[in-house]
This record gives sequence, C-alpha cells and structure tokens, in this order.
Amino acid sequence: MIAALLVSLIQVLIVLLGAPLLVGAMRQLRAVMEGRVGGGVLQPWRDLLKLLRKAPQRPEGTGAAFRLAPLLGVACCAVAAAAIPLISTRTGLDAAADLIAVVALLTLSTAALALAGLDTATAFGGMGASREMTITALAEPAILTAVFALAAKVGSTNLPAIVATTLGHGARLASPATLLAAVALGVVVLAETGRLPVDNPATHLELTMVHEAVVLEYSGPDLALIELGAAMRLTVLLGLWSSLFAPWGVATSAGPTRLLLALAVFAGKTLALGALIAAAEVFMAKLRLFRVPELLAGSFLLAVLAVTASFFLA
Amino acid sequence: MSVNLVGTALATSAGLSGMAAAAALCSPVRVRVPMVGVLSALLGAAGLVAGGAALAGHGFSVRMPDLLPLAGISLQVDALSGVFLAVTGAVIIAASVYGIGYAAGPARGRLAQALWPLFAFSLLLVPAAASVSTLLVAWELMAIGSVLLVVSGDPADGRVREAGVWYAVMTHLGLVTILIGLVWLSAAAHTETFAGLRLAAAGVSPAVRGGVFVLLLLGFGSKAGMAPLHAWLPRAHPEAPSPVSALMSAAMVNLGVYGLIRFGLDLLGGGSRWWWLATLVLGALSAVYGIVQAAVANDLKRLLAYSTVENLGLILVGVGAAGVFEDSGHPLLAAAALTAALLHTATHAGFKTLLFLTAGSVLHATGTRDLDELGGLRARMPVTTALFALGALGAAALPGGAGFPSEWLLLQSLIHGLAVPGIVVVVVLPVAVGAIALSAGLAVATFVKALGTGFLAKPRSAAAEHAHEVSGTMRAGMGVVAAACVALAVVPGATAPALMRATAAALRGPGTSLALGATRQLTALGSTLSPLLVVALTLGAVLLLRAGLTLVSGRKRRRAPVPLWDCGAPPLTARMEYTATSFAEPLQRVFDDVLAPESDIDVTPHAESAYLVERIAYSRAVPDRVEHRLYNPVLHTVRRAGRAARALADGSVHRYLGYGFGSVVLLLIVLAAAQ
Amino acid sequence: MSADAQLLDLAAGAFLLAAVAILWRRDVRAQTAWLSLQGAALAAIAVILGADQAHPELYAVAAAVGLLRAVVLPALVRRAVTARAEDRESAPLINVGASLLAAVALVLLAYAVAQPLVRLEATTAARALPVGLAVVLIGLLILVTRRKALSQIVGFLLLDNGITAIAFLAAAGVPILVEFGVSFDLLLAVLVLRVLTARMRAVFGGSDLDEMRELHD
Repeated sequence: MIAALLVSLIQVLIVLLGAPLLVGAMRQLRAVMEGRVGGGVLQPWRDLLKLLRKAPQRPEGTGAAFRLAPLLGVACCAVAAAAIPLISTRTGLDAAADLIAVVALLTLSTAALALAGLDTATAFGGMGASREMTITALAEPAILTAVFALAAKVGSTNLPAIVATTLGHGARLASPATLLAAVALGVVVLAETGRLPVDNPATHLELTMVHEAVVLEYSGPDLALIELGAAMRLTVLLGLWSSLFAPWGVATSAGPTRLLLALAVFAGKTLALGALIAAAEVFMAKLRLFRVPELLAGSFLLAVLAVTASFFLA
Repeated sequence: MSVNLVGTALATSAGLSGMAAAAALCSPVRVRVPMVGVLSALLGAAGLVAGGAALAGHGFSVRMPDLLPLAGISLQVDALSGVFLAVTGAVIIAASVYGIGYAAGPARGRLAQALWPLFAFSLLLVPAAASVSTLLVAWELMAIGSVLLVVSGDPADGRVREAGVWYAVMTHLGLVTILIGLVWLSAAAHTETFAGLRLAAAGVSPAVRGGVFVLLLLGFGSKAGMAPLHAWLPRAHPEAPSPVSALMSAAMVNLGVYGLIRFGLDLLGGGSRWWWLATLVLGALSAVYGIVQAAVANDLKRLLAYSTVENLGLILVGVGAAGVFEDSGHPLLAAAALTAALLHTATHAGFKTLLFLTAGSVLHATGTRDLDELGGLRARMPVTTALFALGALGAAALPGGAGFPSEWLLLQSLIHGLAVPGIVVVVVLPVAVGAIALSAGLAVATFVKALGTGFLAKPRSAAAEHAHEVSGTMRAGMGVVAAACVALAVVPGATAPALMRATAAALRGPGTSLALGATRQLTALGSTLSPLLVVALTLGAVLLLRAGLTLVSGRKRRRAPVPLWDCGAPPLTARMEYTATSFAEPLQRVFDDVLAPESDIDVTPHAESAYLVERIAYSRAVPDRVEHRLYNPVLHTVRRAGRAARALADGSVHRYLGYGFGSVVLLLIVLAAAQ
Repeated sequence: MSADAQLLDLAAGAFLLAAVAILWRRDVRAQTAWLSLQGAALAAIAVILGADQAHPELYAVAAAVGLLRAVVLPALVRRAVTARAEDRESAPLINVGASLLAAVALVLLAYAVAQPLVRLEATTAARALPVGLAVVLIGLLILVTRRKALSQIVGFLLLDNGITAIAFLAAAGVPILVEFGVSFDLLLAVLVLRVLTARMRAVFGGSDLDEMRELHD
C-alpha cells in the first residue's frame, strides 16, 4: 500500500515538475522549425518562478470563483495524475482511477475556469467561457463513446485494469476498434488542451482567443497556477492517451529499477507526442469556431465506429 | 391490523395532512402559514419514515373496503414504493419549511395553504396504492392538487393561467390513457389488485399486454416529462410558486417513473424487448432535447424545468436498459441499470429541490427570473449563491455533485450491456451512451451559464442590485436539502442495501451487483468508484496548494485591488457583460437545426443620416419546436372538429332527444351483435 | 485470431476510416489523398485474401486495383482541381456535422442489415462485409449531398470502392475479366465527368450542379 501510494506521489511530482518542461520543449521545437531562436526548454519554468514571486492581486469586483479556479485547476490535474497509471498500474488510488471519473475531474477544472471568466464581468471573460464550454460540451460524446469502445472489451472502466489487459494482449492494439478510438480520443485531447486546430495557445487576438480570453484578468501567482494547470492538463491527457494506446513501458510490478525505466519511457513517450503535436502545429491553421463542432462530430463518428468495429471486426 | 411502522407512519401523515388543511382553513393568516409549514414538514417526515422503514425491509399491506364505494382502498408498501415514499417525504420536508418564509400574496390564502398538505399527501398515496382503483384515485387527487397549486401563485397573471390550462389538459389526457390501459388490463386479467395482476398477467395475451404498455408509457411518460409529451412541464413548473415547482419537479414527475417500473417490470413481468427499447430511445431523446432547450433558456426556472426533462430522460434510459437486460436474461445487468435509475431519481430529487428553492429565493429577492437581468448576487445573497452552486454541481454531474455517482452507475450498466446479444442492442447502446454524454456535457455548459451569469459578475438591473439575502426559514429549507445532496454525492454507497431491496422487489430476481458492506464506494460489474476519495483528494490538493503558495510568497500578503482591463476605453459597465443570451449563442448556432430559434435585429438609423445608427435592438426567442410542429397541428384539427360539431347542436330539443334515443338504440344493436 | 485475420481487419478499418475522412474534409485535394489511401487499403484487402485463400490470380487483381484506384483515378481528380478556392471546397448541401451524424446512422444500418450475411459464413472476410456496405452508403450520401461536380466524382469513386470491397469480401473476388471491365467503365466515366466539369466551368464559370437547373428553363 505504501509503495503504491509512493508511485502515485511520484506520478504527481513528475507531472508537476515535468509539465512546464514539456511545454518548453514544444515551444522550442516550434521556434526552431519556424526559424526562430526560441526561449529554451526552461523558459516556462523561469516564467512560473517569476510570476510566483509577484504580489497577488484582486481585479475589482471578482469573488471566490475567481480565486478558487486556479487552485482547482492544478488540484484536479494533480489528482488525475495520481490516479492514471502513467508509470505503473499499481497506483494507490484504485477507487479513483476510473476513466469516467478522470474525464469528469478534468471537466470540473474547465467549468471552474469558465466560471472564473464569467466572474470578472468583462466581455473577454464571458466570451472565452462561452466558447470553452461549448467546445467541452461537444467533446463529451466523443470521449465517452471512445471510453465505451475501450471499456467494453476489458469489462471495466478502471484504468489500471484497462492498461494491464492491453499490456497482456499487445496484439489487440492493432485492431481497427482501438485505432479508431485512438484517433477519436486524439482529436478530443487536442480540443480539451486548447491546441491547434481548435484553439491557438499562442494567440492574443481578441476575436480568436478561447482559453487566453478566460484567463485575461489573471496575474502574478494566480497566473502561474493557471499556466501550470494548463501544462499539467496537457501532460496528463497525453499521458492518458499513451497509457491507453501505447502502454509499453508501464510497470506492472513495483521494483525500483522497473519504475525508473517506466519513468524514462513515460517521459520519452510524452515528449514524442508533444513533439508530434508541435511539429504538426507549424503547418496547421486554426479552425473557425463554428467549424469546431464538425471536427468534434467527426471524432464522435470515429468513436461510434470504434464501438461497432469491435463487433463486426472481431 | 398489528402495529406496523410503515402503516403507523402513513396513518400519521394522513392525519397530519387533514390537520394541516383544517388549520389552513380556520386559522388567521399570521398563524396559518407557519402552522401549515410545520405540520406539512412533519407530514413529510412521516413519509420519510414510512419509506425508510419499507426500504429497511418492513412490509405493509392493508385493505379498507368501506372507504371508497365499489372497490375500497387497498394499500401496500414494498421496498420499491419505499424509494419513492422516502424521496417524496424528504422533498416535502424541505419545501414545507422553505414555504413558510416564501409564501406571499395569494399563496398565503386559505385555499392555497390548505391544498399544499393535501397535494403532499396525495404524492405519498400514489406509491402506496395496491389496486388499480386506489392508484387512479390517488393519481387524480395529485393531478387536481397540483393544477390548483400551479395557478395559486398569481391567478391574475395570463402566463400562469395559460400554463394552468396546458397542464390541466395534458395531465388529464395522461390520466385518460392510464385509465384506459389499466381498465383494459384489469378486464383482461379479471382482477384489479396488484397482487392479483402480478399472478394473472402472465396469462394475458401478449397483444393486450403490449397495448396496455403503450398506453401506460404514454400516460406515465407524459407525467415524467418524456419528449415529445413534455410540453406541459416547461410551462407549469416555472409559473408555479417555487416550493410547488420543487415538489412537482423533484417528487411528482418521479411517480411517472414509478408507474412504469411498477406496471411494466413488476406487474406485467417485463414483457417484450421492444417495450423497453422504446422507453430507452424516448428517454435518450428527452435527455438530449431537454438539455439543449435548457442550454438556451434565459428564464432560470424554465431552464430548471427543461433540466428536469433531461434528468427524467436519463432515468427512463436506465429503466429501459433494465427492461432490455431483463428480457435477454441478464438479471445482474438489469439490476445495475435499475439501481442507477433509482439512485438518479433520488439524487435528481435532491439537487432539483435545492435548485428550485434557490431559484425561488432569487425570485423572492429580485422579482425576476430572467438571467439576463440578474448577475452580481454572490455579494448580496452569499448563502443562496453557495447553495445554488452546490445544486448546479449536482446537476452538471461533476465530481462532488450529487448527479455524478448515479450517472456513473448508469454509464457502467450501459457499457457492460454490450454482452447482451442482438443487433438492436449493439446499435442502440453506443448511441444511448453518446446521448448521455452529450447531455452531460451540455448540462455542464448550462449550469455554468446559470451560475456564472445569474449569480457571479456584476448586477445587470436595479432589481439584482438591490437584492437581499432571504429569511431564516427559507435558508433552513434549502440547508436541509443541501445536506442531503452532499451525503448522496460523497457516500452514495450507503444507499446500496436499500436500493438492492427495491430492485429485487421490481425485478423479482436476485439482488443488485452494488457491493454490500462497502458503503464508501460503488462497485458495479468490475468497476469501482469512491466519490468520497475523489472529492477528498481534490479538496486536499486545493488546501495543500494554498498552503504551498503562502509558503512560496513568504507571508500572507493582502491582495491589492486592481482595475479590470477595459481596452483603454473606460468605464466598464454592466451592459458590456456577457449575458445568458450571449453565453448560449454558440450553442444555439450549433443546434440551429434542432432549435429553430427566432431572432430579430432591429436597427434604428439616426434622424439625420441613414448611415448613422442610433440604436440596435436584438431579440431572440427559442420556442419549443416540438410544440410548434406536433401540438399546434393537433390543436388546430381539434378546433376544426369542434367547429364542425357545433353544427350538430342547433338548439332544437327534439334533435337532442333524438341523439340520446339514437345512441341507446345503437348500443343495443352492438350488444345484440356481440352476443 | 490469426495474423491474416488481424491484417484483414486493419485493412478494412483503414478502408472505412478513409471513407469517413472523405466525408469529413471539405477540400477536394485532401479528399483525393484519402481516396488514394482507400485504394491502397482495397488492394491490401485483395492481397490478404489472395494469400489467405491461395488464389494467386487475386494478386494480379490487387495490382490492377491498386494502380487504378490508388494512383490513376485520384490523380485524375486532382488534376481537375483548379487553383480557384471556390472549386476546391466541396460545398455540402447539409452541414458537415449533420452529414457526419447521418454517417453514424448509416454505419449502424449497414451493420444491422449485413448481419444475416455474416451469420451465414462466420469467416473474418464475411465479418468485414458491413464495412463495404457502409462505404457504399457513405458514397451515396456524398453523391446526394454535395453540390460540386468534382465532389460528386469523389462520391462516385467511393461508391465503387465499396462495391468492389463487397465483391472481394463476399466472393473472394470477382472474376478478373469482370473486374477489369468494370474498372475501365469507371475510368471512362471519370474521364467523361472530367470533360463535362471542364466544359461546365468554361460555359458557366463554376461547377455547381444546382446551377444546371437553369438549363431546364
């Protein structure tokens, strides 16, 4: 039990410390590909530390929702990081490591942030909140139907059980059902983390902002938490995706060397996925907001296909 | 009759309802409201005790042949009735206490106050009925009581009257279909007691049973707000006084579900697969349609009413899935699906009561239900805002909210349902999961809108500006139900033994797969969830982070107030805020084809030049499309038929006598031919 | 499950994925890329079936199908796309979201309808039959709901790919002569449509089929 809890703690720490590095690496890769010098992999951490040292501020007229949202954002991601089998299937939180619960936790942090945006009573906050909630609401069917496709085979939505079963039957990963579910969830991960083509994390143009509009009023330590939360969200979702569709390297036993190896593999997988996204973003444009539902409907279609494919293609 | 806890509690509640009604009629206005409130709360407590005892395994059965001519009254309470008794009792307690502070104007009158305990008692009577005639009498009492209470709020208001008429007509059409269905069933089975029906139903031909089920699905379904028979719900619930709305939305609509479970699963013994597939599909349709309408609604109470349509749709999905699984020989899956439906009935009752009561507080304090006119209530009504947030968390089915465990359980049962063979199941289940997911996602957006634009931000009208916190009794009523919501959200496993008995009573099969003993977590079919653990971890992480942050910043610094970013063009006013309408605009566009909204932009040019705009007015209305497409043609046809029938009545007495004579002769001919 | 069966499943999955992607994308050039992938998947299905059932002549069919469906036909369509942006967009009659939801219904329908056939013969090939049927239905959906003549050609090709896939999966391939006959018909049809599109563009300045209605008056 103690060992299992320790695994969870390690997972939280690696996500907490590694998330800004992942974002830094993605930005650096993008900068290099676009012919810029870039700020270096450590730049997000430097930003965070600087922001943390600044004095906390209270924009006029904001209340508890505004103050709580950054904390809740990081907390939800931390709990998700502790529950998902990122480096080992033996995490200490088996009763919380449910795929649906993890999805719901991440939605909770989105909802909290949207409320914070509305709480500022500015048009920007409201606009961002409205767009963010629309995207989240429409992404939900694709997520849960893909979950359905994955869980129906294993007979459980328990994440360690799904990962352990996949590790035991490696060949299953090459089935059309899994591939379709992987594409569907991949699209949703892009939407939920606010990457291109759904949202542009680098934009500050009023008319196209989604996430950035919500957090416009944040500054100082609050902004640091928001940035950290967003980075952790990306890491957790990429980790979840790789645990579901590329679980190689996730330890099923508790040996320290095994865990160390799993840690290295996890870092490698997440970095590779991040690099893939960053490289793709160089060539991609943002979709118009009202084309996003099409993207998500397509993702839902793929998820339904994944469910049916698991029937007509054994 | 030996002393029986359930029976005693039911008798007590009957007595209390009589006392409360008498007190309302006789006492002066100052004492009347508190007295009715306290007595009704006790009535609710008696109902809760009766339900709790039934859930703990106490049975109860009584026949009073003299109480009603012809058939008499028979009552019987088992664990399934117990769920609905307990839920109704709890809602009555909260709403009655709340009503003491809430009642104002016409609602303080003799009739309105006397009706409240009678309506409350009729809600307890329906699940306790043990014969067709008793059920129908209780059902009609409930219908009349609720219709009168809906119009009691402000009978002079045209919208209230219109809602009352819609509700009265639809609830009686529902009663007629139930009446026909049950009379048909009783005639075919030659008995009208539930015990007799249970034995005889197997001998009734499948065609008759199918016909009866369709009629019952229409009747009970319309009471449960099943689309497309939901049209009365978003009209009647918003216009009724808020405690009445709570009682209707959280307790009365459940009885439609009770009727379906009692007759479909229990008495008719499951029947065919298509019954339950129809229930499931209509439930999924209601869920999505209800929440899409809620997402674009501006009227806070209308939004909540549509959310009721959504949640009852989810419950019907659970009931339908239970029927399908039972029919295909998977009792464990059926038990899990039915448990999910019953748990969701309880959790929905909890958060919907809380939401309607808080909405009532807002209405009480500001006089408006329009979200576009509200805002900024968090500083003025902190308790109400916090309680609304708790209810919204439940309605959005997010961790920490009451709706989360029950929706999780529902999804679990559907996910495992793929083990059931059959093409239809494979086609229907993924779509049902997609529909539930869409409704869950939209519910999050809907309640973020309700909380964010209604309670946070800055006030957008003078009414919201001058809002005040509500009185102690109202807060107490809301507090009671909030505590219940929290309990259901974090330890739903505690209800497992009770729900297990209830599903066993409905399915006549083995118990459910909810793990016994483990009260802290839900275990269903190989998946485990501990909501308490999730909530505790998240809260713990928040506190840890706060502590860490204080540590990093050295000392606890005061937050310095800074102005908001106004794009360099001050001042920011409340008119620049995002309103509920603007918040829902993207969703409205996405669901344009479903909603068919009517929006209108009116540009007034300046007097001097046509190119200078003086003002722009934007108005938007989202009519209920089902109403337009389905009800209006029907109403039109009925009106035409009525006009045609007028030609039959020309005032001649001889003609009228002739009609009577003709029909007697016709009847005799039919009888002769039948023999 | 044998390796062959799994490979066949994968090929069928890719075949279906390509159909969905074609429905999803608006850009005709992107659609042709997916069309190439679908042709390749179709050829792969033929090769796998040939290896599985020891029908060497299927390899020849696969090579022909691969050449025609994965290379020649998509290239023809691509060449017909002009640089003008309005011609690249497929201009759907109903919005893409709705047509994707319609595709969900069609796939489920295909699955339900093909069940008796699958039950007849429970081989891996037979179980993949609904995929072919689903692609046929999606092809028809594109034919019905797209405005531009070029997108209609894409729908037509999708339809034909589906039919060929059904033929392979249900009967381990049509006789080679028939396959070639059909393929050349197809080639001819695409060429004729291309010429027609070019003429339309020259005369009307666009390839919107709705404008053809004006010829009626």
